[in-house]
Amino acid sequence: MAIVAKKIGKAIGTPPVRILTDINLKIDDGEFVALTGRSGSGKSTLLYILSSLDSPSEGSVEVAGHDLGKMADPELYKFRNEKMGFVFQFHYLISELTAIENVLLPAVKNRRQIERRAYAESLLEQFGLGDKIHRLPRQLSGGEQQRLAIARALVMQPKYLFADEPTGSLDSANGDIVMNIIRDANKNFGTTVIMVTHDPDFAATANRAINLVDGRIS
Amino acid sequence: MIGLAIRYLLAKRRQTILMLLGIFFGAASYVTISGFMLGFRGYLVDQLVNNNPHIHIEAREEFLTSTSLNEAFYNDRYTHVFWSPPPSGRKDNAIVEKPQGWYARLRADPRVAAFSPQLSASVIFTNGKATAPTTLIGCDPLQQEKVTTIGGYIVEGKFSDIAAGGNRVVIGKELQRRLGVRLAQNILVSLGKGPPSPFKIVGVFDSGNKMTDNVAYGSLVDVQKVNGSPNHVNKIAVRLFDHTQAAALATAWENFGPEKVESWDQINANVFDVFRIQDAIRFLSIGAIMVVAGFGIYNVLNMMVIQKRRDIAILRSMGYSTREIISLFFTQGFLLGITGVALGLSCGYGICLYLRTIPFKGNPMQSAGYMLVSTAPEIYLQAGFLALATACLASVLPARAAGKLTPIEIIRSGAE
Ligand SMILES: Nc1ncnc2c1ncn2[C@@H]1O[C@H](COP(=O)(O)OP(=O)(O)OP(=O)(O)O)[C@@H](O)[C@H]1O
Ligand SMILES: [Mg+2]
Repeated sequence: MAIVAKKIGKAIGTPPVRILTDINLKIDDGEFVALTGRSGSGKSTLLYILSSLDSPSEGSVEVAGHDLGKMADPELYKFRNEKMGFVFQFHYLISELTAIENVLLPAVKNRRQIERRAYAESLLEQFGLGDKIHRLPRQLSGGEQQRLAIARALVMQPKYLFADEPTGSLDSANGDIVMNIIRDANKNFGTTVIMVTHDPDFAATANRAINLVDGRIS
Repeated sequence: MIGLAIRYLLAKRRQTILMLLGIFFGAASYVTISGFMLGFRGYLVDQLVNNNPHIHIEAREEFLTSTSLNEAFYNDRYTHVFWSPPPSGRKDNAIVEKPQGWYARLRADPRVAAFSPQLSASVIFTNGKATAPTTLIGCDPLQQEKVTTIGGYIVEGKFSDIAAGGNRVVIGKELQRRLGVRLAQNILVSLGKGPPSPFKIVGVFDSGNKMTDNVAYGSLVDVQKVNGSPNHVNKIAVRLFDHTQAAALATAWENFGPEKVESWDQINANVFDVFRIQDAIRFLSIGAIMVVAGFGIYNVLNMMVIQKRRDIAILRSMGYSTREIISLFFTQGFLLGITGVALGLSCGYGICLYLRTIPFKGNPMQSAGYMLVSTAPEIYLQAGFLALATACLASVLPARAAGKLTPIEIIRSGAE
């Protein structure tokens, strides 16, 4: 079981602008993969295609044996909910909900919030947010908000974690904390991590770095 | 998702209250205005049904035309007769042609509760120097009391006293005032031709309506005598057990004779026309409130969908479906609708109850003395449905727009 991309290409707009060309890759379960490359090289685009949020113009993506392009919507939504976690550069927390409610939001979809509550609290405890679970996002610092967003991505214990520059908006101290959390998730739960990053140090700690140049793997 | 929808609404308290107010005013004004209008209308129809005969069988006033004398003079011998000058004018007496036939038919009909033959004559009442032209209606008082509510309006004397005959009348309050007469006094009744005959006043009635209070009732025989037309009848008033059958029966009875047969609702068709105009105004004005309320909700939700793009993106990435995103925004409109309806209906009901306690004096129809306000359940159902439909309709488009947003679009545009 793995993520397999076959001959992925992506062109956007009219006239079409080519962003990705002929991407072939296989990411095994439990791997920690860093996507690197210059700004505009197509890292984010590739990440979203691999994670089902975007669709390729050519080629196919298989995740755990399912062709994403051929999955029916309900199946895909369930898959996203249970098997995938997302962390974005901006935390995208819901400002009307408290920390714990934000973390439990993925569980609410299937009415599993009670079952997941203890795990959510233990995650927040681990991330140093144990005493702030009833705060609103705006009452937390930037680093705390990003940790909260990672807790939300991990609350369903997903097999895959997709992160797009999770440390991009943080200072180096907070960036290190966030990176450690992600690394721990990979090590302790065997979560497959695919992470876009600009930072060569973080990329170096990954099992594998995939470098993009003008939409191609180099 | 309902939890999140409520959080969104609570977070924007001022906007939420404004949206609620729109629905609230719509529902409350529908209930109040309708209650007020329909309450009075119900009373009016009640009065029409209860006070008046359900069906009038009336002699037709016939006018001569250029051909109306052909048959009498020439029968069928000529088909084209030219008169010089052609006959014109009106026939002498408008009377019910075969009253016995009508009586037999009405007596045999199980739907007829009672009927009262009448002869009305235009007369002049004289009391000393005071004179008043009026209509003297001859009837059998016992029958007349079964057909109309005249008996209930008697303020002095007894209506049935005219039955004894011997030139007795019951007169309306207004007529009494004009003539300046008292009970038991005699007045002179003249018909233009012939000498005046004295009548004794045995009763006074006050219906509150100046028109009806301007006439006088006597026994049928007396009026026929004064009018010089024994056995003549120019109107039969009929009361049915079920007033809703009146129009259909009247139409069917048209064929039985040359008389004009009309039901209470046909006679008062203009009243029902006014009702229709009132309804149009009612729906237009409440429609306007609803349109404003609807646009308010539509605007606020549209803004919210734009403001919450990131929330939509993150929810979609968690596996929330298009449907669930649509319901997140639709639910807000629906909740506003439900709350606005609940508040509006209860407030409208309160206003209606309050209006009922306002004394309503000097009304022409003698009500209970208070404003009549309907609290019929239909009004509340209609108001609730209308307001809820407005709220739902207004939130459908923003909700669908939210559902159409794909996470990738939002993430791409959000990163810039
Ligand atoms: N909607 C779009 N229409 C046209 N071109 C686009 C669109 N979205 C992205 N691009 C282009 O596609 C290319 C790749 O974009 P992408 O966001 O994947 O880059 P990236 O490697 O993540 O860059 P960064 O490190 O700055 O985030 C860029 O040149 C960008 O200008
Ligand atoms: Mg990017």
